[in-house]
This record gives sequence, C-alpha cells and structure tokens, in this order.
Amino acid sequence: MADNSVSLLAVFPDLMPAADAIDKLRALGLSDDQMNVISGIPVTEAMLGRPSQWTNVPRLAAGGSILGFCAGAFLVFVTPYLYPVPIQVGTQAFVPGPPTVVVLFELTMLGMLLSTFLGVFLDSYFPNYRPMEYVKEVSDGKIAIFFICPEEGREKFTQAMTALGAEKVEVAQVEHL
Amino acid sequence: MAGYNNKKAEPVHAKIESHSHEEHLREQHLMLDPLPRGRMNEMVMESMYETSWKFWVVFAILSVIVAYGLFYSWGKMIAEGLGIAGVNRPSYWGIFLVNTVFWIGISHAGTFISAILRVFKAEFRRPFTRAAELMTTFGLVQAGFSVFMHLGRVWLAYWLMPYANQRMLWPNLHSPLTWDLLAITTYLLSSTMYLFLPLIPDLAMARDRSTGWRKTFYKTLALGFRGTEGEWAHLRNGMNIFAWAIIPVMFSVHTIVSWDFAAATRPGWNSSIFGPYFVVGALHSGMGAVIMVLAVVRATMKNMKYFIRPEHFDAIGKLMLIISMAWAYFFFNDYMVQWYGGDKWTHQLLHFHEAGPMGWMWFAMLIFNIVIPWAVLWNQKWRSTPWIVFIVGFFINIGMWFERYIIIPISLSINRMPFTWRLYHPGVEIPLGIGTLAFFILLYMGASRLIPLIPVWEVEEGQMAHELKQFGRETVVSVSELE
Amino acid sequence: MIRPDEIKMSSDQVGKWGMVIDQDVCSGCQACVVACAMENNISFVGEKDSGYGRSMHWIRIERFWEGEYPEVKMTPNQPMLCQQCGSATCEPVCPAFATVHSQAEQLNLQVYNRCVGTRYCANNCPYQVRSFNWRDYKRPEPLTNQLNPDVTVRRRGVMEKCTFCIQRIHKAEDKAKSENREIADGEFTTACSQACPASAITFGRVDDPESLVSQLARVHGHGVKHLEELGTLPNVTYFKGG
Repeated sequence: MADNSVSLLAVFPDLMPAADAIDKLRALGLSDDQMNVISGIPVTEAMLGRPSQWTNVPRLAAGGSILGFCAGAFLVFVTPYLYPVPIQVGTQAFVPGPPTVVVLFELTMLGMLLSTFLGVFLDSYFPNYRPMEYVKEVSDGKIAIFFICPEEGREKFTQAMTALGAEKVEVAQVEHL
Repeated sequence: MAGYNNKKAEPVHAKIESHSHEEHLREQHLMLDPLPRGRMNEMVMESMYETSWKFWVVFAILSVIVAYGLFYSWGKMIAEGLGIAGVNRPSYWGIFLVNTVFWIGISHAGTFISAILRVFKAEFRRPFTRAAELMTTFGLVQAGFSVFMHLGRVWLAYWLMPYANQRMLWPNLHSPLTWDLLAITTYLLSSTMYLFLPLIPDLAMARDRSTGWRKTFYKTLALGFRGTEGEWAHLRNGMNIFAWAIIPVMFSVHTIVSWDFAAATRPGWNSSIFGPYFVVGALHSGMGAVIMVLAVVRATMKNMKYFIRPEHFDAIGKLMLIISMAWAYFFFNDYMVQWYGGDKWTHQLLHFHEAGPMGWMWFAMLIFNIVIPWAVLWNQKWRSTPWIVFIVGFFINIGMWFERYIIIPISLSINRMPFTWRLYHPGVEIPLGIGTLAFFILLYMGASRLIPLIPVWEVEEGQMAHELKQFGRETVVSVSELE
Repeated sequence: MIRPDEIKMSSDQVGKWGMVIDQDVCSGCQACVVACAMENNISFVGEKDSGYGRSMHWIRIERFWEGEYPEVKMTPNQPMLCQQCGSATCEPVCPAFATVHSQAEQLNLQVYNRCVGTRYCANNCPYQVRSFNWRDYKRPEPLTNQLNPDVTVRRRGVMEKCTFCIQRIHKAEDKAKSENREIADGEFTTACSQACPASAITFGRVDDPESLVSQLARVHGHGVKHLEELGTLPNVTYFKGG
C-alpha cells in the first residue's frame, strides 16, 4: 500500500446497489484491480460488471489426470516385467486387456480429482490463517466491496458509497478471521 | 435477498386468486420462500447447538453397540479366526461381503444427489446435498470395515497396496479385488473432497458465528475463506469438475464391485448384466436410505422443517419409483435369461433361490423392492408424507439387503460340485453388521452437531434464482440460470 | 531373467505332472485322505466344524447314489482333489499373487506367505477343492511328532490345497540331479497314490507318452476330465463305467 492510500470496505445489502457502486467507483477513477468483491454467495463477476476471474483449476485438473494416467500406465505396463520370471496367472496375458482399461480409468480419475481439489487450495492460497480484511456481515449475505483509494479522497468515496445504499463504509481492518 | 416480481396490473378478483395461489406456492417451495440469509444462518447454527437429552441417550446406546458389536467382536474374530463367522465351503463369502456391497450401495445415493442432480440442474436438491453426501462418506467407512473384516489375515491387508516390500511384489492387476481397491479408494477420496469443497463457505459462516472451541474448529477447517471473487471462482470451477467427473467414478465403483462376482465362474454369478444391475440396485437402496435419513433429520433437528419440506420427499419419492422400475427391469433381465437358456447348474440355483430353505427371502425381496414401492409411490400425497416414504425406504433397504444375501451366500451354496452343497448360517457377522450400522448412525449424529447440515449458501443461491412470474392469468414458478 | 516371450502359457502345453484316477476300483476307503493329511500336516478340525463344511482335507471321496430307498444303487466313488489346471480360474483373482502358475513344474502353486485370506480363489475354483484355515486348530502333544518336516504348517487365515506332493517332487528331482540323471517313472509318487490299496490313483509325467499315467490314459480310452467344458485344462483324468 502506498503512503497516501487507504483501504475502504463498503457493505451493500443487495445486488443492484453493489453493481451501481462498482460503476461509480470506476467513474471516480479506480481501476478494476484496485477493487475486490467479497460476498456470501457466488455473485458472478458478470452480475456486477466486473472482469472475469482467471482460474487455474481446470488446467491443474488436466495435468493431474495425466499424472494419474502415467501412474496407471506404470502399474499396468511396467510392473508385470519387473520380476525375474513374469508371473503367470491363469492363461491371461501379462498385460491383460480389460484390467488395463479399468486400472487406467480409475487412476486417471483419481489424479484428476485430487489435483482439482489441491488446485482449488493452491489457487486460493488455502489454508490462509493470516490476518485479512473481512467483515462478518458477508457470511450473512451482504456484498462487501473492498477498494483502495487515495487518502484525500476518502470523504468523497465514502459519501458516494453511502449515497448508493451502503450499509456501512469503514476502513478495512486487517484482523484474524 | 428477494427476487423481483414482474406482475402486471390485474383486475381485482383475478389478483386475489393468484395471490392465494402464490401464497400456496410459497408455502410449498423452499425456493420461493426466502428468509434473510442471516436468519437462515442462525437457524442452521441453532440446529447444531441445540441438543436435547434424548440425543445423548441414543448416542450412548449406539456407542455401547459399536463398542461391543464392532470393536470387541472384531477383535475376537481377529484373535480366533474366521471360524466364529458363518463362512464355510462352499459359501466362502457371507454377510461381510453382503454388508460391503450394501454400504457401497448406500453411498452411491449421496453422489447421485450431489452430483447427478447438480449436473441436471434439479433445483430441489439444494437443501439436502450435504446430508446425502455425508451418507456417502460414512457409508464408505462402513464398507471399508466390512471388507477388511472378511479378510483371513486382516493385519496384513496392507500387502494389497503398491509399496516397496520384502516380497518384491506389485499387486496383481488381474484381480477384480485390486480393481476394487483402486476404485473404492478413488471414490472415498473423491466423495470426501466433494463433501468438503461446498462445505468451506458454510464453515466460514459458522466460524463467523461461533466462539470458543467451535470457533477454533471452524476457523481451522474454513482455511481462511472469505468469499472473494477469486475464491468463489476457484471453488465453483472445482465443484463443477467434481460434479461431472465423480459421476463416471460412481458408476465404475459399483460396476467393479459387481465384477467381483461376475468375473467368477460360479453359476448365477457369471452374468454379463451384473454391472448395470448393481449400479441401479445401489441407487435403489441408497435413495431409500436418503429418504430415511431426511425424514429423521427433519423430525428431530431444530428448524429443519423450514429447509426440508414435503416437496423434497415428493421429488425423491418419484426418483425412488423410477429406480425401482429400473431395478425390476434389470432383475427380470438377469432372471429370465438364466431361466430360459441357463445350464443345469443355473437351473438348480434358481430352484434353490425360490424353493429352497431360504425361498422366503427371495419372495420378500421381490415384495419389498417392487410391490411396496409401486403400490405406494405413485400417489403424490403419500410420496409427500415423510413417515410413509420412510417406511417405504426402510422396506426397500431390507429388500436390497436380502437381494445381496441371495446373490452371495445363497448363490454360493449351489455350484458344480453337488457333494459340497451346503447352507450358510451367519455367526459373528450379525453383531459385526449391527455394529457397522450403529457406527454409521453414530458418525452421522456426531456430524450433525459439528457440521452445518444445510448448505445455506446454495439454498440462498437457489432462492435468488427462483421467482414467480405471470403467464397470462397463471402464476408460474420460474428459475433463472445463474451459472 | 526369463523374457516374457520365453514363457509358454500352460494352454499351449500338455502339462507335466498329472494323474489318472480309476473310479471303478475306488472302494471309498479314504486311505488316500488319511495319507494326504499325514503327509501334508493338515489340521484336524473336529466334528462340529467338519459337519459345517470346514474339513480341511485336500482330497475328498465324493459318494453319490441313484434311486430312492430301498432301491438305492451306489455310483462309483469320486476322489476329488486339486486338478492342477492348465488354465486355472483360481490364479488371476488373487490380489496378492498367492496362487500362481509354476513354470518349472506346471503346477498351480499356493504361496502361504502371500495369502491375506480374501478367499476369492476358493470361490472361483469349479472343483471346490481349496481349504481355508478357519481357525488355529490345535494339535496337542504328542501329535506334533507326526508332523512332516518337509511341509510347512499353516496358520489361521491362510488358504491351502493339494500340491501334488510338491515336496516329494522336489526331493526326487534333487536326487536325480545329484545323480546326473532324469527322474524315472514310478521313482516316487504322491501320498494319496502311494496309500491307495486298490491302485486307483496313478501319478506321473503326462508329457511323457511312455509313463504309466499316459499309457493308462491311452489304454482305457474312456477317460473324462471333470468340468473340462469350462476350459480349465485339468491334469487329472477319471475313468468310470468301464
């Protein structure tokens, strides 16, 4: 944070006022990456006129599925030949057809789902127990807009937000959740 | 957060009619009856905190049953061997495998509701996805116990895992049991992760509303979730991938379990229809179990009557009827083909099923799985009555347990060596099976105290998307696609 | 290290060790059952467990009859033991590789030290010849003196079955190797075959056309292999109705 800027948090009870507030903040000169929206339900970026959020989760999922496939391929294609004498069971081939399909499928899916899960954590920087800016009203369904504005303009921004229906506008406190 | 109404100006009498119709719709449908989020949060938290003495009595009784039936009896069986169970030649597998298949079946309902219904955008799933998904996780725990119980040397069960070992062996990938291990591990991990992801925002809500040890507990598990755009984007993306991907996993798991039997050379087992037959059977018993759990949750927990309404029992009841018909189709397919073109051993087996000493079980299975659901669930009023569908669900579960008992120990009694034909009589399997059931209920009761059972954020999301619209004179429910 | 292509699947071969059992001369005396139990340290399970289908005999005499009392007619007794299938259905289903096919002896092996006791192999055996150790059956002193030191003892939770007296096969092979010769036909035999007073069981090399086993199979001509329609390639030929 630069010397003369302050973090403000404006809490809105509903979608339309929040969307108007975003437009107003842009009109007052803030860029999109100086704002963040915290909400209790997944309000999509499009609803508030915000740019779409980038997420790495699908690519991580794809990568994980490839890793899973490789693990399965190792088990199926390599391990039968790691013995001094390949083990014969029944008269099935050492790399049997249908079991190959089953094992590859299961391990690919396991890789995909594990990496999706970990990808969500990774992208969101979970677990994050450091003190952060937050207001409890968010989990009660309010939409909080968190923005950085120059110190001198604080009054102007606060008034603008209140005029549009903000329930409260305060300096964002960094505290343990 | 209310939706907005675009009713046009109407003549007075029509307005009054549509007004009461509207009232009726709002009363019936949770999605049309929004409360402020804060109030819903409070209701869910209350349902966790407020615990009556009756809860603790049941908890204590179940704990005793689990201690004796599960832990003590299992310890005794490990010390003395499977001799105290009822398995013999030729029924080498008995109630332990029946319970394993049963619990995996129950767990499929959770995934059906939280994944398949999500993918099909069935809005009525919203309040109970977590309650169903909890059944998946806890059911798989019992399935795990049951399958480990049946091992002759369970203390060496880790030999089935791929790890660097002194035997210098990898697992045998030819064996359906190894596929079982991979599939069930994948499914257990996936469904637990899928349970946890949508839980995070509710844990954050619980964190914000609690103090003391609960706050520490929720704070740790909520991982610092705040609800920023980024966090929601990653979470929803992850949940979408899970919803789509866990469906093939769910199908594959019970298919692979069915292949434990279908891949064998026993008469009656070597049937190519076992894959889909078992999957549909799993959904059959699972949906029955879900409705039982929901009926109990609604009746015993505070504020649940707001979230879980007769409309939900109605919807699940319809699904139960359809699945019962599907089960009857697969059963008849399997039976007819064996009866018509089967060899002499298969005919002996079918005769043993129907007319042998356990023939009563065969008939009971058909009555509980087909006759009772079809007789009751066609009626919308009965479907919407929790205690009626509870009873139907109960009978379905008994019927499906009987079905698996018939497939495993009873079918094993008949093979191609008549000198070995012998009936199976359960021994220590009975306390152990009751122990797993008690443990399932115990885990669920514990979870109901610790975890918000209703995904409030998903309910609110649904309520935001639903509104009443005027189509001419008619007031109609309309759902927006928010995603 | 043997390359995979050097392994001949048992379905491509005649088999090595096999048996011929003449049901017409079998009197049902159970000497083979007793001899096998003594040779292979099989546990005594007691009357109750035995009546419940838990006897652990690796060979059993199956008795059937035709007709209703008093018009009952006995049919030939049927000694049933592990057929050492060339395409064993029990082998692929063990997750721990505890039952595998032996390249050297062309037998179906049971490796006690790998068995975790899933019992899938027993379910998948069409002949139902596998025995499971349901308990640790006691062998009170001085019965421990009769244990055969060539054969291990098994504990609870482990599957076992007939091995064609592999310990005798190995002993004979070691002796022949040390004397730099091949094993002669009839030099040794299995415990069951040795004990049978009617010589109903003949054991030997089925891949050697001059062995007694192969000659008997040719002479009688109406041998059957039980359940061979399942494709298990059993190595035991049965005669009856001669």
